[in-house]
This record gives sequence, C-alpha cells and structure tokens, in this order.
Amino acid sequence: MRLETCYYCSSTVWPGHGIQFVRNDCKIFRFCRSRCHRAFKKKWNPRKSRWTKAHRKLTGKDLTTDATFEFEKRRNEPVKYQRELWQNTLSAIKRVEEIRTKRERHHIMKRLRQGTLDRKAADLREVRDYIHLVRAPNATKPMEEIEMVQKAIQKREEAGELLTKVGTTVSTTKKLSALRRRAPKIEVTMETSDNEQMLAEDMD
Amino acid sequence: MPKKGRSKNKSHSGVDKKGKILKTKRKTIDFDQVQANMAAETARELLNQPIDYDVPGAGQHYCLYCARYFIDDHNLQHHIKSKVHKRRVKHLQTEAYTPEEADRAAGKGQYRAPRPVHVPKDQNTLYKMETDTVENVVSVENK
Repeated sequence: MRLETCYYCSSTVWPGHGIQFVRNDCKIFRFCRSRCHRAFKKKWNPRKSRWTKAHRKLTGKDLTTDATFEFEKRRNEPVKYQRELWQNTLSAIKRVEEIRTKRERHHIMKRLRQGTLDRKAADLREVRDYIHLVRAPNATKPMEEIEMVQKAIQKREEAGELLTKVGTTVSTTKKLSALRRRAPKIEVTMETSDNEQMLAEDMD
Repeated sequence: MPKKGRSKNKSHSGVDKKGKILKTKRKTIDFDQVQANMAAETARELLNQPIDYDVPGAGQHYCLYCARYFIDDHNLQHHIKSKVHKRRVKHLQTEAYTPEEADRAAGKGQYRAPRPVHVPKDQNTLYKMETDTVENVVSVENK
C-alpha cells in the first residue's frame, strides 16, 4: 500500500480514492478528488489557489524548511520485515509528527504575533495624529485631560517596548522606534474656557 | 423540411465550450512541457520543421510559447503582438509547477520557491543565441 500526494492540493491520496492521469510523456498526475482534477484540466495554477499547500508554502503561511521534512520520502527499496525495525519506525513516526506539528504551530503563532504588533503600532499612530479629536470643545480642564492622555500613551509605549523585545522581527522594532521619536509632543495651548474666565473675573 | 430552430438545438445539445475544454482527449501542452521545449535543441527542431500538410501553414509558422501553428508569417507576427501571447509569456517566466513540487509542498523534502525562467522576446534566439555564444567562446579561445 502506498499513500500518494495529490498533484494539485498536496493532500494524501489514499488507496481507492481519487483519479490519476498519465500524460503522453508518461508523467503521472494524481488527484485526491474531482475538485483537484477539474482544476488541473482547466490549467489552473496550484500556486494561485489559496486552498493548496503549494500556495500556503509559497506565501510563507506554512513552515517551509525544517529538518522534520526529511523523514517522509519515496523510497523505492523493498525492506524485509523485521519486528524490531517495524516497532522502532512506528514510534519514530509518532515522535517526528509530534515535533513537526509543534514547530508548524509555532511558525503560525509567530506570524500572527506580527499582526498584533502592527495593529498596535497603527493604533498608536492614530492616537498621535488625531488626539485633537478626542478633546471636547467645552472641556473645563484641558490641561488635566492632556496629561491623562499623555500618561496613557506612555503606558502603551512601555507595553510596546516590552512587545518588541518578545517579537524578534526588525521591522516592528524599527516602526516602534520611529513612532517613539515622533511620538507625543502635544503642544499645550492654554485656552481658558468661558467658564474659567467668568470665574477669574468674579475672583477679581 | 424540419423546422430550422429545432434541428439546430438538437445538433448542438450538450455542447458548450467549457465542457469541451475539460475533456482530457482535448488536452493541450502544459507549461512544463513548453519550458522543456525551450531548450536549444528542441527549439531548433520545432522552429525549423519539415513541411507537413496536416498542420496549419504546413508547420512553417510555429509559436513555441503558445504551442500553436499559424498559416503564415503575417498571422504569426500578429499573434505575437496579442494579449494572449503576452499573458502566456508572462506565465512562462516562472518555473512550471510539477508533481515534485507538490511532494515538497506536502512535506516530503524542503519546499523552495519557483525559480525565474528567461524567456526571450524573439523565440528564434532560443537556439541562435546558443550557437552565437559558442562561436564567440571558440573565437576568443583561438585568439
């Protein structure tokens, strides 16, 4: 029994499943289901269909290079049955599979972490650029409000710094440092509101 | 005489272009085969074919990238300027997808990105360039 891989989506083709096409130059194309066969007949490019393994690897969504990918191979050599070898192989397969899934998961998590960092940076940028929209026009204590916002920004920045230490990517650290350089230098314009002016006059 | 509309419907029932394309008996050449044909020797053979009256233009005007015969040089040149041809050339500029790549994507071996392929604008340079460079090298060595 041999488990083949699908030409189009790279999934496993189990015995009794799918269909195979032999081209007139003797090349064999195996398909796991009619969906893949149909795509092949339409000459679609597997690299461009988002649901194929080739697309996921090409776009860096899945782990591409790893030592665990070297175990599974097409070995065209008959091996004589040995009970011990059989047992060892089975336990090795389980262990390798375990390690591989762990690494693949880690790869995806690393990728997603990048997204959270980017979103955080975008939020910081938004706060920096549009802070004037937050302040209400008739705010009685503008100074305090601005201080509060500044404190909040500082807090977020500190959190951002911690995050950059976790994420190893250069791009995010660059982005965040650029943000910090430009970050919140809010010019405080002391505009006393009407109420305050009234109060001041009363005091006088 | 039967009704015109009826007979027409009967003779073309179940025939639509999509279904025709999907038939494997109408299979046309794949991209990896075209890229194999782009090797100097096969290119020379394909672009200098003996006269064969079974194919359009007696096999004298062949577009190697699109694997199509044209009836004369004028039509071939017109085709080379067309969108279909240009799109095809663009596809050929990256290494074609093969069953081996499917295996690598499935986790049997390390996956590597497809390599770029040089596709000269003039298909005749595919085999002419080779000889030119060889001649140049030979002449340099002689000097």
